[in-house]
Amino acid sequence: MKNDTLHLAGVYTKTVMKSWFQYKVDAVLRSLAVFLREATGIIVIYFTLLKFDTLNGWNIYEMLFLFSLLFVTYGILIIFFTGLRDFGGTVRSGNFDRFILRPRGLLFQLIFCNADWFAAIGHGGLGIVLFVISAGKVGVVWNAATIVYYLLAIVGGVLIQGAIFLFLATLNIYLLETNSLKELFYWNMRKFAGYPISIFHKSIQVIMIYVVPFAFVNYFPAQYLLRKSDMAQYPDIFMYLTPLVGGGMYLLAYAFWRFSIRYYKSSGN
Amino acid sequence: MEQFIEVKHVSKSFKISKRAKGIPGTIANLLVPKYEKKQAVQDVSFSIAQGEMVGFIGPNGAGKSTTIKMLSGILYPDAGEIKVNGYIPYKQRREYVGSIGVVFGQKSQLQWDLPVIDSFELLKAIYRIPEATYRKNLNRFMEMLDMVEFINRPVRQLSLGQRMRADIVAALLHSPKIVFFDEPTIGVDVVGKEKIRSFIRELNAEDKVSMIFTTHDMQDIEKTCNRLIIIDKGAKIYDGSIFGIREKYGTTRQLDVEFSENYTVEPIQNVEVKELNELDGRKKRFIFENTQVQIDALMNHLLQNYGIRDINVSEPEIESIIGKIYAGEVC
Repeated sequence: MKNDTLHLAGVYTKTVMKSWFQYKVDAVLRSLAVFLREATGIIVIYFTLLKFDTLNGWNIYEMLFLFSLLFVTYGILIIFFTGLRDFGGTVRSGNFDRFILRPRGLLFQLIFCNADWFAAIGHGGLGIVLFVISAGKVGVVWNAATIVYYLLAIVGGVLIQGAIFLFLATLNIYLLETNSLKELFYWNMRKFAGYPISIFHKSIQVIMIYVVPFAFVNYFPAQYLLRKSDMAQYPDIFMYLTPLVGGGMYLLAYAFWRFSIRYYKSSGN
Repeated sequence: MEQFIEVKHVSKSFKISKRAKGIPGTIANLLVPKYEKKQAVQDVSFSIAQGEMVGFIGPNGAGKSTTIKMLSGILYPDAGEIKVNGYIPYKQRREYVGSIGVVFGQKSQLQWDLPVIDSFELLKAIYRIPEATYRKNLNRFMEMLDMVEFINRPVRQLSLGQRMRADIVAALLHSPKIVFFDEPTIGVDVVGKEKIRSFIRELNAEDKVSMIFTTHDMQDIEKTCNRLIIIDKGAKIYDGSIFGIREKYGTTRQLDVEFSENYTVEPIQNVEVKELNELDGRKKRFIFENTQVQIDALMNHLLQNYGIRDINVSEPEIESIIGKIYAGEVC
């Protein structure tokens, strides 16, 4: 049974890859374009930050390390959650009906039918480059414990963002379109998450910890590894919570999805 | 005996957001959304036996699609019960949909950029079709629908007729027991339509697959189905044979007569006379209801009083009867 699901995941992946490779040049350029677009943003920030020695105690390499977590998790995120990110379009075009008509899990189909491998290479690649540049210069001792922690934090960070996508996708069932909510709660918060949250006004910190908990995607995991002094204002336990927050949020979003799918209204012919 | 498809007193309504006009209206709508209830399907019941071919027709917005979507498990009914092949479609989705096939004429389920065969391979994995069954079905359908020449071509390069044939096969590879066709010949040329219809007839005869069609092309129905369900404004208004609908509603007859000279025909009770302006006015059309006027009496009357060269009686096209039913002219 599980084996059979894996087999289908494999066939889906093969099909998606094959579709992209119908236009080989475009596929490769796409990875490159995503990489360069995101990297440009980082370069601009890099030169701006060179004017300061540190930002609330964070030097430039520590900042890049913070960014690298954001990009590595996003790279993995869009392999698995592109279908949920773009769920509004799937509902409006009526394509979701086709998923319902097939004898497989709806989330499973949404996930594997839409995996965006090439954008993932662009985002993830940038994350890895930033990690390589910064990891040796931020004073982290890489041993078995820190590596395991790092990997768990990545998984947790992916799940937190995946849960946000799943939650917004579920809202689509009621509202048909949630792009502006996504803009507000996901993309804007993600911009804040590029910096240590301690530099922001208290209200933004509250949102980033308790409402759209991007702080657990990169700030607190980075703090565990870097131990900057601004961590003093938050409970130490926050540095260990990322996998729990991720798992918990995802389960909640999944329950909301299961509950709501009953109310799905096909968008007509 | 329990029927294969059983629909009992099913109703479904939608909430439609009611928009006031202009920018102030849009803003007001954002703050306090107002909804209007639209009854899409109201207390519809019918049952269909295994192997039956049923045409399901009605004007746009009559509730056809909604009914089909409830039957295929996409929508939950608000009230009533649906049972198909022992399953409740909207509750046992995963178990149920493996036994049905759905063809949306307007929307392909094939991978646009890939050769047709790749979509089929994907469906084989999705439906867990055993290799032997897959091979057998694929070879059989490919031959029946002349698909060999384009099976390895990307879908985007296919003609509409070819794409439709591929889509029909895609819905049948897993040997479904029921197939829903939603406008399966839309936009296809005459030869293509005929190919699709004869394939559907053959499949039904050999495999006893139950089929439900929604279409606006009455030829599709006449050439494939023996039963017709008409739905209008959410309610079922006719359920019976195609032949029966002629008998019940198609009582109008027209008699085209070519006279030997340009007579002025005296008025006849209950018969409308129309000039056809052909053959120097020698051709006239007589329209009447066969419930009011005996056709032999009318013909006798004409033969006795006028010189006649040719005579031709015609029944109304099924299409025009349906048109009249939609327009509310008969019932």
